[in-house]
Amino acid sequence: MATFVEQVREMGIKQAIVTKADDVVERLTAGMNINDVRAALRGDEPRRPNPRLRPHADGFWLHIRPSFYHTGVTNIYPTFRLGWLSTFMLVWETITGLILMVFYTPSPLSAYGNMWNILGNVPLGQLFRNMHRLGAEVMVLVVAMHMLRTFVTGSYKKPRQFTWATGMLLLVFTIFLSFSGYLLPWDQLAYWALTVFISGGAAAPAPAFVNENIMLILQGGPALGADGLLRWYLLHVLLLPLLAGIFFFVHYYKVVLYGISLPPGREQVGEDTAKRVPKDERTYYIPDILTSELMWSALATLFLVAGALWLWDAPLETHADPVVTPLHVVAPWYLSWSQGWLKLADKTLVVGFIPLLLVAFIVMPYIEVGKSRRYADRRVGLTVAMLFIAAMLVSNWMGSPEFRVQSSPDREVSIQVLPEEGPGGIKGIPYEHLTPGTYSPGQVIDGNPFLTRGLELFQSAMYQQSCTLTGNPQWTACTVETLDNGTRRFSNFFTTDAMPDPVAHLEIVEVQPNLKELILHYEITNPDTGAVSKTEWTRPRHAFSNYEEECRFLNKSCATD
Amino acid sequence: MQIKIVIGTIAFMIAMMVLGYSALREPARLGRFTNAEVGRSIEAGSEIFANNCTTCHGTDGTAQNCVDSTGNQIACQGLPLNYNALLCGDVSQRMTDMNWSGTKANYVLTTISAGRGAMPTWHEQFGGPLRPDQVQNVANFVLNWESETLCSAPVVTYEWPDQVTDFLSGPDVTSPGDATRGADLYAVTYGCAACHGAHDGSTPAAIGPSLIDIKTNGATRVDGMDAQQYVYHSILFPSDFIAPECPTGPCAGPPSVMPANFASRMGDNPQDMADMLAFLLGE
Repeated sequence: MATFVEQVREMGIKQAIVTKADDVVERLTAGMNINDVRAALRGDEPRRPNPRLRPHADGFWLHIRPSFYHTGVTNIYPTFRLGWLSTFMLVWETITGLILMVFYTPSPLSAYGNMWNILGNVPLGQLFRNMHRLGAEVMVLVVAMHMLRTFVTGSYKKPRQFTWATGMLLLVFTIFLSFSGYLLPWDQLAYWALTVFISGGAAAPAPAFVNENIMLILQGGPALGADGLLRWYLLHVLLLPLLAGIFFFVHYYKVVLYGISLPPGREQVGEDTAKRVPKDERTYYIPDILTSELMWSALATLFLVAGALWLWDAPLETHADPVVTPLHVVAPWYLSWSQGWLKLADKTLVVGFIPLLLVAFIVMPYIEVGKSRRYADRRVGLTVAMLFIAAMLVSNWMGSPEFRVQSSPDREVSIQVLPEEGPGGIKGIPYEHLTPGTYSPGQVIDGNPFLTRGLELFQSAMYQQSCTLTGNPQWTACTVETLDNGTRRFSNFFTTDAMPDPVAHLEIVEVQPNLKELILHYEITNPDTGAVSKTEWTRPRHAFSNYEEECRFLNKSCATD
Repeated sequence: MQIKIVIGTIAFMIAMMVLGYSALREPARLGRFTNAEVGRSIEAGSEIFANNCTTCHGTDGTAQNCVDSTGNQIACQGLPLNYNALLCGDVSQRMTDMNWSGTKANYVLTTISAGRGAMPTWHEQFGGPLRPDQVQNVANFVLNWESETLCSAPVVTYEWPDQVTDFLSGPDVTSPGDATRGADLYAVTYGCAACHGAHDGSTPAAIGPSLIDIKTNGATRVDGMDAQQYVYHSILFPSDFIAPECPTGPCAGPPSVMPANFASRMGDNPQDMADMLAFLLGE
């Protein structure tokens, strides 16, 4: 081929540049020149031989992608684009995670401080942290939905059993990836979620020697500390992404090998025609599938950016403290079902059952060999699946804070009104509106809607935990039971351990410049003995703490909303 | 397909606009977050302080109102922290007293971490119970007492006469002192009994030498000083003369482990010294 200088001499500078550009585009796309790209974008018929197949044959990136799909699988149904979205989320998490890695050191001395540095010192740091965390949760959801739809459409059946098995492993890796990232901020939420998880792992039905060593390996010592953090960090950024990456390619290779299965109704029972695509049923990757994927990527990006900016804020609690256990330790929602199971059965039983369940899922397509993928022929299987989903939802609810062990009634009020962590209740009220003074529940403060709203919350929290023996119209009447030991128990609609005619108030004191203490006082007179018990609950609130910022997000509830 | 290109392009443009919008608001957001870490640190510090420090330094850090775990009023054994001479100025009075050449933040942090005199160590590195972040939280909390109100009050520096006789006959005190009030100062206000034991012998001395016989012992310790001058001088300058016998063996020093700040604390009310002397050396 002539050199560029020769081309300029031959056809003039303008035409030479156009030819050169055409050449560059053809090299970059591994076979499509500018006209081919424009024709593809316009939706024109390709010229012969079809240049749109060459990127698949000669290019690296599209080599693994099929050059055409069966038109029957290109609608929203049956794939719902969930496989593509799972892949997108994996890439999304990798990119945002790499950026966050720049600002993170896996050491208990610095990890928590790094979070505040990301929030307060790194431009767009909070956004990236939120995008990564939101992405992690969305990814678990998308991967789980992908599994569900694969089951519902019967796509796990022969010959795709192995694809299903690798998919199960990818679901496990996804959950572990999400959960291993939990520990890294080294706050109370992280520390205790992991501690509970690891102690669960150590309850496996195995000899004590094995369990002790599992615990040592996972914690890096007798308790979760510097070594444990380093291990979970390496799991999160190295081992699990590597495993997920490898199995992703195995999984996708099988998807391409067998083709995406057609909707069950489109082929005869026992047939698998996904790879035999008639000419008139072909939808070519370039341009149709490619533009569709780019559109979904753009929509997902928009959702994640906007979600991380307005809807969803990654939590950051106080520094991890091995000696202070939070009142209610909760698992992340995607593991909440296991916490629910722990309330039903023995720990060892539950921990032993979960791997069995996983194995059962993996081998299921090899055992369940019913030929038909049609819904009408799979009434039992689909019913079992729906029952399983229902059971998981109930288990998840049982594992949630809604279904927790109740502590004392005043404590229950306190953690609603002034939680230990986060901006909830009165803590999210802007500092200047926390006027020092003493207030009663439900009091209306003129010119201070924030505090009024907070005291309203105090009133409704009290209402659930209180009852009256004296006809006080503030509370509902007590249901009185006499227990075997002679003491009386007072109940209301919500609880069997209500406070009889409590006197409560909120006190706000300025204890230092820019530091106020919010104190909830409770005074309960035992109606039998006349003994007065006084309890209080104090939370500090500093002017700079910026809880208001957290209240902007939908996933944080404040009294100011 | 065209509709997908349009939707995708619009979605991507909106996403980039949202990103740009958040980038524009970023300086303001960073501003709101700049001090959030300090704010939360002070909050955490206030709780650690309430649980660990108030028995010696008082609930409000003034070392005047100390209660034990059962709620009884006890003597404050620590120094005041919510205090002009500790917190005000880049180089505060107490830093000068201690010949501290670093920053105030480091002075507070180091004292909490490694202890000082009767103050125990708190940092786990020095055998204390607190993690590094917790020590930092407490230090931030203590430093947060600095305020314009606190610092506009002048530091009282009382000029102590060299001779106790000049002091007692001077215009600042009513002589002789009130031994009954002195007993209260000894046991509660200045917390002397914590180290030197109760003066009636009901609790033995723990760290410092017993002062039960100081009236006779004190007269023989230093040539040319009677017991009164000796005790007066030793309260003001604990490191000048080291007593021979302490409960745990020969007394350590100089410098003495006894706090060196009684001169400034009693300087707020010199009558305290007269009452204390009357109590210790009472007839």
